[in-house]
Amino acid sequence: MKRRLFALLIAGLLGWSGVAAAEELVIYSGRSDRFVKPVVEAFSDKTGIKVVLHSGSSTALLNKLKLEGPRTSADIYISNDAGNLQKGSEMSLFKPVSATLADRIPANYRAMDNSWIGVSARARVLVVNKNQNDTAFVKSVFDLADPRLAGKLAITHSGNESYIAGVTVYMQKAGNEKTSAWLAGMKNNINNSVFNKHSKIVKAVADGKKAIGLVNHYYIYRHLEKHPDAPIQILLPDQGKDDIGVAWNVAGVAVSKYSQHQHAAEKFIDFVTSQAGQQLFASVNREYPTRPGVAAAPEVPAAGSFKVADVPMAELGKYRNQTLDLIEAVGMP
Amino acid sequence: MNVVAQQAWYRLYSFMTLRGALTLLVVLAAIIPLVYVVSSSMDLDLAGWQGLWSSRLPGLLWNTLSLAVLVAAGCFVLGVSAAWWVTRREFPGRRLAVWLMVMPLTIPTYVFAHIYTVLLDDDGWLGQLWVTLFGTSPPELFNIAGVTFVLTLAGFSYVFLLVQDALSRSQQDLEEAARIQGATSSQVFRRINLPLLRPAIAAGLSVVVLHVLSDFGAVSMLRFQTFTLSIYLQMNSRFDFNAAAGLSLVLVSLSLTFLVLERFFRNRQRYYGSGKAKRISPRRATRFEVTMIWFWLGLITLFAVALPAIWMVVWSWDAWVDDLITTEFWGYVRNSMFVSIAAASITIFAALPVALYHARERSLLSQSFLYASSVGFVLPGPVIALGILAFVLANMPVLYGGMLVLVLAMVVRFLPLAIHAQESAAQQLTPSIEEAACNLGAGSWERLRRVTLPMIRGGIISAWVLVFIDTLKELPATLILRPTGFDTLPVRIWIEASEEMLELAAPAALMLVLGTLPILWFLIRPGRSTP
Repeated sequence: MKRRLFALLIAGLLGWSGVAAAEELVIYSGRSDRFVKPVVEAFSDKTGIKVVLHSGSSTALLNKLKLEGPRTSADIYISNDAGNLQKGSEMSLFKPVSATLADRIPANYRAMDNSWIGVSARARVLVVNKNQNDTAFVKSVFDLADPRLAGKLAITHSGNESYIAGVTVYMQKAGNEKTSAWLAGMKNNINNSVFNKHSKIVKAVADGKKAIGLVNHYYIYRHLEKHPDAPIQILLPDQGKDDIGVAWNVAGVAVSKYSQHQHAAEKFIDFVTSQAGQQLFASVNREYPTRPGVAAAPEVPAAGSFKVADVPMAELGKYRNQTLDLIEAVGMP
Repeated sequence: MNVVAQQAWYRLYSFMTLRGALTLLVVLAAIIPLVYVVSSSMDLDLAGWQGLWSSRLPGLLWNTLSLAVLVAAGCFVLGVSAAWWVTRREFPGRRLAVWLMVMPLTIPTYVFAHIYTVLLDDDGWLGQLWVTLFGTSPPELFNIAGVTFVLTLAGFSYVFLLVQDALSRSQQDLEEAARIQGATSSQVFRRINLPLLRPAIAAGLSVVVLHVLSDFGAVSMLRFQTFTLSIYLQMNSRFDFNAAAGLSLVLVSLSLTFLVLERFFRNRQRYYGSGKAKRISPRRATRFEVTMIWFWLGLITLFAVALPAIWMVVWSWDAWVDDLITTEFWGYVRNSMFVSIAAASITIFAALPVALYHARERSLLSQSFLYASSVGFVLPGPVIALGILAFVLANMPVLYGGMLVLVLAMVVRFLPLAIHAQESAAQQLTPSIEEAACNLGAGSWERLRRVTLPMIRGGIISAWVLVFIDTLKELPATLILRPTGFDTLPVRIWIEASEEMLELAAPAALMLVLGTLPILWFLIRPGRSTP
């Protein structure tokens, strides 16, 4: 009896490895399940290709890809952060997408060699409480270091991907010294307490506990959807003639270099860069579709109506470690 | 002289058996991650080490050690006090109290961390209460006090279990003798009970400390930089494997030093009770004592069991009503159960040769085998996963991506738990019984099958239960090694919690608890043999 059970167990253990052999697309996704699932389902409905979704953190999955090398079962890698995508590109984990597909997306939203493609974009913006006028002087993210905001500023912890990517942009545009001084100033304004979620920053500003916060644009509208009367509004920073513009980051996709299903993988890229796919991928999270001519959700400021920092997305990966060093040197929590 | 030489020869000869070979095989498998860590940290040059030393090590050492001390202190207070009342006083609901004190073992640290950050939010249950009571915003958990709070709640049950067991076996004569000599009850506690309990307390606290050193879930949710979290971040956001290995090496040395010290202090003192002495029977509690006991135990239960349980049930109910519990969810349950059962079953077999060898030999070699196989407990989960991954990819690539690799990692990770439980059971077995079997003509396999195994059954069951529970809760290694698309309950809790989908995280956490409860019964069933 016992022996039979044991044999069964071993058979089960060995058998499991063979299951994933059928024709299907394996996606390593570092983006929220709830944003990826609708896209994947629509793709499967349209093409009939079955998709296995393996979710996790973007960086951990990139590590996995790297370690697995030629043995990976991944066909597609999705990340919420251009920094990760570029890092993967530098470690030559991806296979460039064909130029016809890549050309649908402007060059600054994809890798130089087309090894990854930005699919949706988001802006680093400020959220302010309408009822508190002590933030009226703020025009730039660098004003967040102003001592007048002591105790009134809300930012996330410095492990957040969007936060790191934002700091990289400011570093590229304003230089290390200014960015370092800016971080130190913000550190004085936050009373040693950072937020672990962007959504909590928006909530704290809406509740009047904080006057101003640095977030991705869609968190504001996500809050407004649930609480339409919340006294918050978006403030697009650095819009003056000589200012750097809003920091921008993209979520994107890449085809694994060792994918056994290149054809299906190309189909997926085709889908997410198509008009319909772009609309779906971006709109579930109120992001900006990267393909020109596809409109973002109506409530967000229209793309093109504001100035965006002209840092190619590929740089976000290149300077990532330098950014981390700078943040750590200042000792941001 | 001749006798000594003969003995040495016999020892060597006896090791060259199947049992010896098996032992060696298990130990070799267990140290795979360590070999990986050592070899990767070799690649770290002097400048790299200096960089680590100047930028990180002092802070990490301070954070990690102070956290370990604080959590150990917290677990000591909660565990010993609860165990004392439960074994020394007869009061209504005593059996229930034992259950309540052990139940926190079913709740993983990251679930505790997640639940309390939600509850202590400005609009959480506790947060609102705090605001009405004190008028200030509720305390934050993202600091050492918060992490200590969470890890103490998640860990004090280990101390409780071991101390309660020791207390229920302690004998009456010593205490009576002290009382006759005129000692007060506090003197008796300090001079008789505490020294006798020291091995149990030390064992309990060492389990707690090792859990603190290798905890990933709570510290990463609360972003408290300990060695384990920093190692994970080095690998994951900087892709710096060598620095991660260097940090791991420091952590391993730290933990091993701690283990050796703990064994050393425990071995120095032994007390053997005589078989005839009367065991202490609990005294009936006075009405005042019953109130006090239930006030204290109730307070512990409130935070360690009741609040998390209510939270899980409420949110799970929401999920149920909203029809969010789909077939996928039952798939996660099945996956979790499968991995845990497989890992626990294989681990008890793997642990057996090492445990028996040490229980019988007690030599330097057996001792070093014991330490070598403790690697799983002193290395953080992500590092174990990477070590196994690197080994499998280099040597047995066919296995990669399969379930076997995941199970292997679990076995390596929780082997020490099983060895410990089985070894202490085997120690209580007098060699004379085996010798008798030998005299009656039983071969070594027959002896093992018909004498040794049945007699240490209690230890084997405990080992299975401990490994099952820990595998069910395991997060970091599973995250890295699971086959593609293979989600377990902890993985789902992790994903949903980081997306703040509470109504999806709660049912998964609830299933973890419900799945562990019947298993837990083995640990605290009446009349169990000691673990």
